[in-house]
Amino acid sequence: MRGLKKFLFREDASAQLPEDLKASLAGWRAAPAPSPDEPHFHTRYVVVDIVSSGLQPDSDKLLGIAASGVWKGAIQPDDAFYVDFSTLDGEGAAVDRQLMAFLLFAAKAPLVTYHVPYVGGFLERAFKERLGVNFQPRWVDLAWLLPAMFPAKEQSVMPLDYWIETFGFEGSGGRRDAMANTLLLARIFQMLLVRAGSKALDTTADLLDESRASSFLRRKH
Amino acid sequence: MTLRQEGRDRMAVNTIAFLRNHAPFNKMQPDALQFFAEKAKICFYAAGNEILGPNSGNVSYFYVIESGKVQARQAGEVTVTEYSILSLGAGECFPIGAVTAGRPSTNIYQALDDTFCYQLPAEDFLALMSSSPEFNLFCTRYIASLLSQSRRELQLQFAQKASEQQTLNSPLAGIGSRSPVTVLPETPLRSALETMSQAGIGSLVVADADGRPVGVFTRSDLLDRVVLAELPLATPIGEAMSKTPFKLDEHATAYDAMFAMATHGIRHVLVTDAEGRLTGVVSERDLFSLQRVGLRQIRQAIDGAADVAALQQAAAEIRQLAFNMLAQGVGAEQLTQFISALNDALTRRVIQLNLENHNFDGIEWSWLAFGSEGRDEQTFSTDQDNGIVFQPPEGADEAALKQRFLAYALDVNKDLDRCGFPLCKGNIMASNPQWCLTLAEWKNQFSTWIRIPQPEALLNATIFFDFRPLYGKTELADAMRRHLLAQTAANPLFLHAMAKNALDCEPPLGKIRDFLTDLEPGHPGKIDLKKYGSRIFVDVARIYAMATGVHNTNTIHRLRLSAQRLSIRNEEINAVLEGMNFIQLLRLQHQYLEGEPGTQGDNLIDPEKLNELDRRILKESFRQARKIQTRLKLDYQVN
Repeated sequence: MRGLKKFLFREDASAQLPEDLKASLAGWRAAPAPSPDEPHFHTRYVVVDIVSSGLQPDSDKLLGIAASGVWKGAIQPDDAFYVDFSTLDGEGAAVDRQLMAFLLFAAKAPLVTYHVPYVGGFLERAFKERLGVNFQPRWVDLAWLLPAMFPAKEQSVMPLDYWIETFGFEGSGGRRDAMANTLLLARIFQMLLVRAGSKALDTTADLLDESRASSFLRRKH
Repeated sequence: MTLRQEGRDRMAVNTIAFLRNHAPFNKMQPDALQFFAEKAKICFYAAGNEILGPNSGNVSYFYVIESGKVQARQAGEVTVTEYSILSLGAGECFPIGAVTAGRPSTNIYQALDDTFCYQLPAEDFLALMSSSPEFNLFCTRYIASLLSQSRRELQLQFAQKASEQQTLNSPLAGIGSRSPVTVLPETPLRSALETMSQAGIGSLVVADADGRPVGVFTRSDLLDRVVLAELPLATPIGEAMSKTPFKLDEHATAYDAMFAMATHGIRHVLVTDAEGRLTGVVSERDLFSLQRVGLRQIRQAIDGAADVAALQQAAAEIRQLAFNMLAQGVGAEQLTQFISALNDALTRRVIQLNLENHNFDGIEWSWLAFGSEGRDEQTFSTDQDNGIVFQPPEGADEAALKQRFLAYALDVNKDLDRCGFPLCKGNIMASNPQWCLTLAEWKNQFSTWIRIPQPEALLNATIFFDFRPLYGKTELADAMRRHLLAQTAANPLFLHAMAKNALDCEPPLGKIRDFLTDLEPGHPGKIDLKKYGSRIFVDVARIYAMATGVHNTNTIHRLRLSAQRLSIRNEEINAVLEGMNFIQLLRLQHQYLEGEPGTQGDNLIDPEKLNELDRRILKESFRQARKIQTRLKLDYQVN
């Protein structure tokens, strides 16, 4: 019953969109995802972090998204995205458009974040409810990958602040806005990419496999 | 605002927060920081990885270290800066010189720790340099400090060469003849004398089979002990030589040798090693050339010189002293002025001495110096450029007077030539009737050149407008200068033509290679530092000086004073002068270190033979030359 309602709701969400959004969405759906077999240098990764009203993706509200592109071995200053939903009333086509803008910005690139169930959960729900999109990007989860790549430092999943402190970044512990957090994740991700290269994990697919394997292993054992 | 723009802005805030904590960014305007933040990428280098090196090609980014540590070390074997390894930390930048010049880095930059860098693309770096005065100042200063570093390097080389040569504290091992001619004591006199004759020497060391000296045989021995004693030429030389020659260990100093000669009244000291074997001979003459000469002694020698021969000696001493000063770290600016000052004194003395044979009592006249001498910028190889201005008294026979001046000038020119100032190839000398003129004639000549700026007139202007009175009535030269400046002010077209002319020769900077070295026919691989270097500065300075009514002839004074009048920023003009001084210093070095003593050095250098840093700085100096040329081009609308 609940599944059916969801299914109907999604249909509704998509059907109610204004024409231009429908067109954008169709364009996004039709666009091919970048190949996961390219080397990291040629792959555009999008590092993403969110702001939410709480920790429960099913019940709390998504308040903002901050994202930054990492490719050609650098955090690119002209490839960034930031949205703050709290300035809107949370309703209407404006939010839909902003979510659509994020889809277009991400452009099916592999997404990088810390703790996918949290960030991915909020995004999944928002895209399903607002745009009727089943948002299933390729996720790279730093929370699982860092212990796998830097076993000498730590072998289990740790809070992000642990890694920030370990790597010696300034501002650990203090409050960061979503963009500052994203940029920190982006820096950590760059370090991780160099480390991955030394372990012969040269492509997105390699990295995703490692990410899945490490999360599987660590959950099991 | 789009969400992407919002993202970029937020990211910029993050970058600016970092920049604000570090010089020179903390002094820069918000829009400059914003520009930096919008253009700079953030890159990561794991510990041990090379970030940049000579092989990475032309530098495409300016790097600012955000966190971590970077080691800079010089590529190649020769250390050209005062540091060979330098560690850079957060907030420090590299490679400023290379990114400014758009060439490969000469250093290897390697991440010592895990390092994050902001990387500003080279084109944005240059844009920032031109839009932010604070950033510009920072980079200019940095490059200027490279310049002074290289100058210190040069001084070190000179000092080393100088200390090898001079002072009476030098060990005898490095003085005098290193491979003296020796014969065995059994050698018949005839054979020994033949040896002396063939080698063209006046004395001979007699040594035993082990090389230990047992005697000396000189020409005076030949007279006293052979000829007058009627000794047969078959006699062994051992019977005719002076026995018990004076010997010193090779570690003894020149002073010891000098003292021995004075005490024992001998002319030669044999130098031996620890085993007593002969390793050299030091003569009285070798020691004299060691004695250092001082400015005061030279001045006294010049002023008290009774004839040209004495002045010739003084001219040689000027060269030696100039060299010592170079070694002591005197810069090109002071040094060329110093050479000029002594050369002036020398020239004045030649002028005075010749006045004993020519009488111009009651006539106002002045000896003029032109060209580099007129600008106080003589290097070691400068030929004569001079003239005479005179004021014929009322009712005097002008033509006859001119003949007298010409005859006098010819004597002076010849004497100057003997003192090491070669006659001018272009015959720009006071003995040429063209350049021995009355005040009215000079004024007229200047006016003609200025009114009709033909190529020849422009060429003459570059020589004659840099005049300076050396002797006699300086008021005549002042009158010439006032006339000149008034005329140029009244004829803007002339300065325009001069500007066009000055822009004919561009600094030899290549688009692909660092330097163009094929501009001089017959000298492939070389750069004429005068023609394509210092002359560019000199020409531009002359035009600005005339345009702003500056009376000085010295290029540095001209540039400083006219820059003040044109409100050109100090930093900018300092960078230009540093560039010019560096080129001058290279010329001096080339002329002294590479020229044979006593010969005229040239201005042709091979950039490949310079060390890394000098090459970099030479390139930057040429860029400064191009910069003032560009300014001139804009100011005079020359296309």
